[in-house]
Amino acid sequence: MRKHYSLRYFTGQAMTGLWRNGVMSVASVAVLMSCLVVLGCFALLLVNINVNLDNVAQLNQIVVYCDYDLDEAAVEEIGNEIEKLDYIDSVKHVSKEEALEIMREQSGDYEELYSGITEENNPLSDSFEIMYKGTDETKVFDLEAQLRSMEGVRKINSVYQVAKTLDSLKSGIMLVFLWFLIILFVVSIFVIINTIKLAVYSRRSEISVMRYVGATNWFITMPFILEGVLIGVFASLIGFAIETYIYNYVHKMALVDLQMITVLGYGKIAIPLFIGFIVIGVITGIIGSMASLRKYLKS
Amino acid sequence: MIDFKHVKKYYPNGTVALDGVDLHIDDGEFVFIVGHSGAGKTTMTKLLLREEAVSSGTLVVGNNNLAKIKNREIPFYRRELGVVFQDFRLFPNKTVYENVAFAMQVVGTPRSMIKRRVPAILSTVNLADKLKCFPRELSGGEQQRVALARALANNPKIIVADEPTGNIDPKMSIEIMNLLMKINKLGKTIIVVTHEKNLVDYYKQRVVMLKDGKIVEDRVGGMFE
Ligand SMILES: Nc1ncnc2c1ncn2[C@@H]1O[C@H](COP(=O)(O)OP(=O)(O)OP(=O)(O)O)[C@@H](O)[C@H]1O
Ligand SMILES: [Mg+2]
Repeated sequence: MRKHYSLRYFTGQAMTGLWRNGVMSVASVAVLMSCLVVLGCFALLLVNINVNLDNVAQLNQIVVYCDYDLDEAAVEEIGNEIEKLDYIDSVKHVSKEEALEIMREQSGDYEELYSGITEENNPLSDSFEIMYKGTDETKVFDLEAQLRSMEGVRKINSVYQVAKTLDSLKSGIMLVFLWFLIILFVVSIFVIINTIKLAVYSRRSEISVMRYVGATNWFITMPFILEGVLIGVFASLIGFAIETYIYNYVHKMALVDLQMITVLGYGKIAIPLFIGFIVIGVITGIIGSMASLRKYLKS
Repeated sequence: MIDFKHVKKYYPNGTVALDGVDLHIDDGEFVFIVGHSGAGKTTMTKLLLREEAVSSGTLVVGNNNLAKIKNREIPFYRRELGVVFQDFRLFPNKTVYENVAFAMQVVGTPRSMIKRRVPAILSTVNLADKLKCFPRELSGGEQQRVALARALANNPKIIVADEPTGNIDPKMSIEIMNLLMKINKLGKTIIVVTHEKNLVDYYKQRVVMLKDGKIVEDRVGGMFE
């Protein structure tokens, strides 16, 4: 009964505090939210890079795309040439009709995007999926060079190259994001500290009377700590909504433009991401309010 | 029981506010503390409230040795004291009832108890009919009575009043003093810091006079010089 009453009292006080210093509260939520969104993008990017790296590492695959206007004989000629090369394990011809079919299947929700495409205006070209024998770097590079210089070959997609690029990209991205994140979190803790300080200041007379009549420090500080918690909760809820929007948008783009890359469905990531947001948001809020209440918490 | 033994108090800037105070006050006593401005009267009340710690000597209140009390015990110690200030310190946006109830809420008193006790305390200070008023609707004397009711809210053994009549006119002052006498008769120890000679002379209680941080007079039924 008493616990219940206190919780209501504290939450009421915390909400009043946030409301009274509206501008600062909004600023705190906004900054912390930006932090979380950036952190979220970072995490999602990393997860996806890792998934792709895993896929790619196991593939030992090179895809060779032929020029658009080749006739069947020319394509067949290219196939024969490829089979003669060194270090090749298998070669599979994918006609442009098959390629269109595969693309349709993978598009899932976005099938309508391909509805205007028919066999006559098929924008794709014939290709060969080549599996090579191992991971000897010089041999792979050699093979890539030979394929690239063949007559009638438009471009090659080497997963080996993709993997290398992704890997170097990964550490670069990580470093930039890490610094960005550190700065953002410092700024948001700073803003939260000031918000809570302002809330304490606007209640100083109330606090002084509370101390005279014998309120304990935790009773005095609890509403302010809860204020920090609420800032964290609001920031993570809004941040999660924004993150969801961003991810779905990017996911859609990726499906259309980057068929080489696997993009995880949001369903798999949403729950851990949400929990992460709430936990980090609330902890940051608590750190901010504890820091501004040091004086009270000590004595 | 309140016991000052060789109490000295220095402020960080070097001011010696109390310079060896020995004073014993029994339960149920009524004591005036008088003295010129800067004599150290408010400092004594701050030590009693444990807003400040003694610099040397010992100060014991009831079972609490205030020189040794732990920080986390201070709030519980303060519940044994009620305090009244010259400037009332009421919340302007809370009613009389809420001002008194607040003191009980913040120490975790159950609601049902608050509902019962607040009207009873307000009738002790003759304000039973002003429950729903805001402080601005009351005279200075009435506001000070609300403050006194708040000081009584958690049923303390000791009431400390620092110039409780400093901001109100003489007629109202008598009323406040009469109330403090009445509360004293109910068994509470009362310590009143004041400048007003006529009040001290009128009530003929124990008078402790401070001068430059030392006690220079301590007489029962005493008058000002
Ligand atoms: N927080 C403080 N820091 C430094 N010096 C202080 C502080 N509080 C009081 N003093 C000094 O200590 C001395 C005693 O002050 P105190 O407030 O106890 O006097 P007082 O008897 O209550 O005076 P008054 O009648 O004017 O209220 C004064 O010289 C005062 O300037
Ligand atoms: Mg004073």
